[in-house]
Amino acid sequence: MVDTTMQPRTVTSTAPPRYAGWIGRTVNSALYRNTIGLLASNRWVRLAVLAGVPLIWIAALHLGPILQMANISFLANYPPRPGVDSGYTLENYGFFFSDRLYFMPFVRSLIFAAVVTVSTLVIVYPVAYYVAKVVKPKNRMRALLLLLIPFWAGELIRTFSVIMLLANRGAVNVLLRELGFIDRPIPMLYTFFSLSFGVVYLLALYMLLPLYSAIEKIPTPLIHAASDLGAGPFQRFRRVILPLSKDGIVSGCSLVYLTTIGVFAAPLLLGGPNAVIFPEVIATLFHGSNDKWPEGAAFSMLMLAVSLTTVGLFMRIVGGRSVRLM
Amino acid sequence: MQPVVQFKNVNKFYGTQAAVEDLDLAIDAGQFVTLLGPSGCGKSTTLRMLGGFEDPTSGEIYLDGKPISHLPPNRRNVNIVFQDYALFPHLSVMRNIAFGLELKGLAQDAIHRRVTELLSLVSLADYAERMPAQLSGGQRQRVALMRALAPDPNVLLLDEPLSALDAKLRQQMQIELKSIQQKTGKTFLFVTHDQEEALTMSDVIVVMNKGRIEQMGGPDELYARPRSRFVADFIGRSNFIEGKVVSVSGNIASLDWQGNIIHADVNGTSPATDKVVTVALRPEALYCLTEKPEGRLALKGRITGRVFKGAHTSLTVTLENGTSLLVQLDPVALSHIDGDDVWIGWRERDAVLLAD
Amino acid sequence: MKTYFNDLPKTALGASYWLFAVYLVLPLSLMMVMSLKDANFIAFPINSWTLDWYAKVLQDRQFINASLYSIGIALATTVCATIIGVWIALLISAENIWGKAAIFALACLPAVVPGLINAISMRIFIRALDIPTGTFAIVLAHTVHAVPFVVIMVLTRLRSMPANLVDAARDLGADPFIAFLRVTIPYLMPALIGGMIFCVLTSIDDFVRTFFLGGYQPTLPMLIFAKVQGGMSPEINAMATIVLIVTTIVGLYAEYFTRRSRS
Repeated sequence: MVDTTMQPRTVTSTAPPRYAGWIGRTVNSALYRNTIGLLASNRWVRLAVLAGVPLIWIAALHLGPILQMANISFLANYPPRPGVDSGYTLENYGFFFSDRLYFMPFVRSLIFAAVVTVSTLVIVYPVAYYVAKVVKPKNRMRALLLLLIPFWAGELIRTFSVIMLLANRGAVNVLLRELGFIDRPIPMLYTFFSLSFGVVYLLALYMLLPLYSAIEKIPTPLIHAASDLGAGPFQRFRRVILPLSKDGIVSGCSLVYLTTIGVFAAPLLLGGPNAVIFPEVIATLFHGSNDKWPEGAAFSMLMLAVSLTTVGLFMRIVGGRSVRLM
Repeated sequence: MQPVVQFKNVNKFYGTQAAVEDLDLAIDAGQFVTLLGPSGCGKSTTLRMLGGFEDPTSGEIYLDGKPISHLPPNRRNVNIVFQDYALFPHLSVMRNIAFGLELKGLAQDAIHRRVTELLSLVSLADYAERMPAQLSGGQRQRVALMRALAPDPNVLLLDEPLSALDAKLRQQMQIELKSIQQKTGKTFLFVTHDQEEALTMSDVIVVMNKGRIEQMGGPDELYARPRSRFVADFIGRSNFIEGKVVSVSGNIASLDWQGNIIHADVNGTSPATDKVVTVALRPEALYCLTEKPEGRLALKGRITGRVFKGAHTSLTVTLENGTSLLVQLDPVALSHIDGDDVWIGWRERDAVLLAD
Repeated sequence: MKTYFNDLPKTALGASYWLFAVYLVLPLSLMMVMSLKDANFIAFPINSWTLDWYAKVLQDRQFINASLYSIGIALATTVCATIIGVWIALLISAENIWGKAAIFALACLPAVVPGLINAISMRIFIRALDIPTGTFAIVLAHTVHAVPFVVIMVLTRLRSMPANLVDAARDLGADPFIAFLRVTIPYLMPALIGGMIFCVLTSIDDFVRTFFLGGYQPTLPMLIFAKVQGGMSPEINAMATIVLIVTTIVGLYAEYFTRRSRS
């Protein structure tokens, strides 16, 4: 049907129009019609394509490794060698409790993660609050960006910069000596302190972002209303701001806790012999001369189970709705 | 002539919930047809079934005589103007309109000619390079309309396209839509819950309720001769009175209404004597006089409420038998009334009997 | 504002912000300054400045090779993670899919499992499948790690997409595949670019997975790790500064894009 009433008009725009001619050619070609076009119009094929790859990927690579690790953690020997018992056993888990050298670092790891989480929360909360509520909206992004930039540097570089700060010949010691406060450098590196300092430095961002977005969502009039009703700064914080930022606290703490437990390079570089934490123990079971994979797998399973349960319990008790990963 | 669109005994169920039941509907080419009804009446489902976005549970839909019930949307020659326009935000006005043409595999200059032609039809030639975000609500509406018209569909479906616009713009767009429909000669199937839109633009209105067609006809017919209480109430306003049939002669039935004998048009029904029936009376069809007229129906009443509405005034008149009627008077008629005691009446053919 | 907030808490908050900013910036700026020092140990004050360390780093074949290797891994990871992430997100956002919540939870699993365990389980896994350690294993592990973040970014964007955009494309004659190419993908673009840059940065930065899965060829983090274990030297400072500047520029670009996708 041709619309005779419509007057053809000359082109008004100077630039030549560019339409996607290839689409029409592709879609209307016999090749396309008989292949993709045919498949795409079949609902079951569509569903299979949509669901196939994701489900296989998730099953094989998200679940598979964990399940395989769980499997191996119950094996008496892995890899199976001829002539050696390769049945299922609980010994690998028993092995963990057999030696202080194993479970002390584990306990230390958990305590360490808790300490780091709490310190990060305490340090970052006022900062997040300041950026979200005190800084004027137009400057807010800039204030946040200043804090974000250092995090793009990457884990190792940041760890290295902490070493530079805290080493015996590092900036702090050099400065103190120049100023005449000390004669001999204070040993700060390779201690629990340097490790915590470094890990807080590495992970503060994971606390900052969830806290910031939670606090930013609190309506400012609500805070004003509270002070209007006679609440002092402390009351305002405890009765209004803190409960309303709960979601952010829960996600921030969960993220920091889980990441701290799995942090690996920083302890190797910043922790000393007195600050051996669990990841190093596990690593030696895999990388050392004595290849103890089943034990390593069992230890990893313990660590995974304990850390996820801790976070799960924490979330249940505090009552956050969900962990937002971003 | 073969209808462009035909629904034959179409049902649509969601679980056990019926969205559309026993739908039989034929739409002739070149008409502006409106599906009118409250939300949840099945009008949008009907439209989406025709567009290909819902499968009918049973029955068959024909487009130009060919069954299309189970074709995917891209293989039906119908296009939709969506409620919130659904313009592609990453494409310019031109490219939006060209979208359907590109898929048809048309040559560059053919596409360009068609796009320019359509843009000038709605005076948007200067906006060709703009992005949708840079347009006003009315302009987006026009672009969406042209995008849907571009591939030359057999039927153009419009899913409440005016509901996002403000009142003034909506009236303007109603006129524009109608004129575009007349210029292009396309069949328009328009869905709305707004009776005013339906009355202004349509050749045929299909009133739907609870998944079924209540009544179908021209705007004037639906307005003057509503078949059911639902239609009488949904299109315009009505007074409803119930009376017992005394006798029927020709088209006029005599009713006993609380002691008064009144007359009403049978309106296609065949009422049995002694049956209680409902009569619909339009507020503007009632006359209102200060003195009892001779030889005409007149019931005594008292004005108990007045609402000034600009072009007219709504009066609530309470009759001696206790019933209240809504009366709508223009300023001239109103100026003849002084005092609160009035006589109310109507012409026989303005009162219509309802089927339910 | 002033009437409601008395000044003391406000000042304290401001101070905490600036102290925190100094805490974050100071070690890195110290590192950058030291990279310009004309001596091979750290001390104050700096008497003479030099760019020699940079010249040395840029001529260091080891550094160049490790950088290129890391960039290659990062690009491969990004391509894989983006494709699979988008695919999973599409599945989760589709209608009538049974067990959506479970699929989403499992899709996010690698982001919640501590990094070390992720690496170890992957090490065990590839051994079970007889895949050697090396480039492929690293890319696989990095992809698994990056997928959840792509999924979340793409899902967020998809949720803001008007449902009937795809309907409109279908209505105008596009089959589902063409509608996806012509409408969904362009709509997702900001989230995709943000997600891709995120993948590149996390992959280049990753140490623990590479440590367990890497072959003999060192990636950039492995190289830096080895050098740091060897002791402090201005050369590492220069190397780290170069990496820092490049990643920061990329990171800022990512910020710009994710911000655009949110608005």
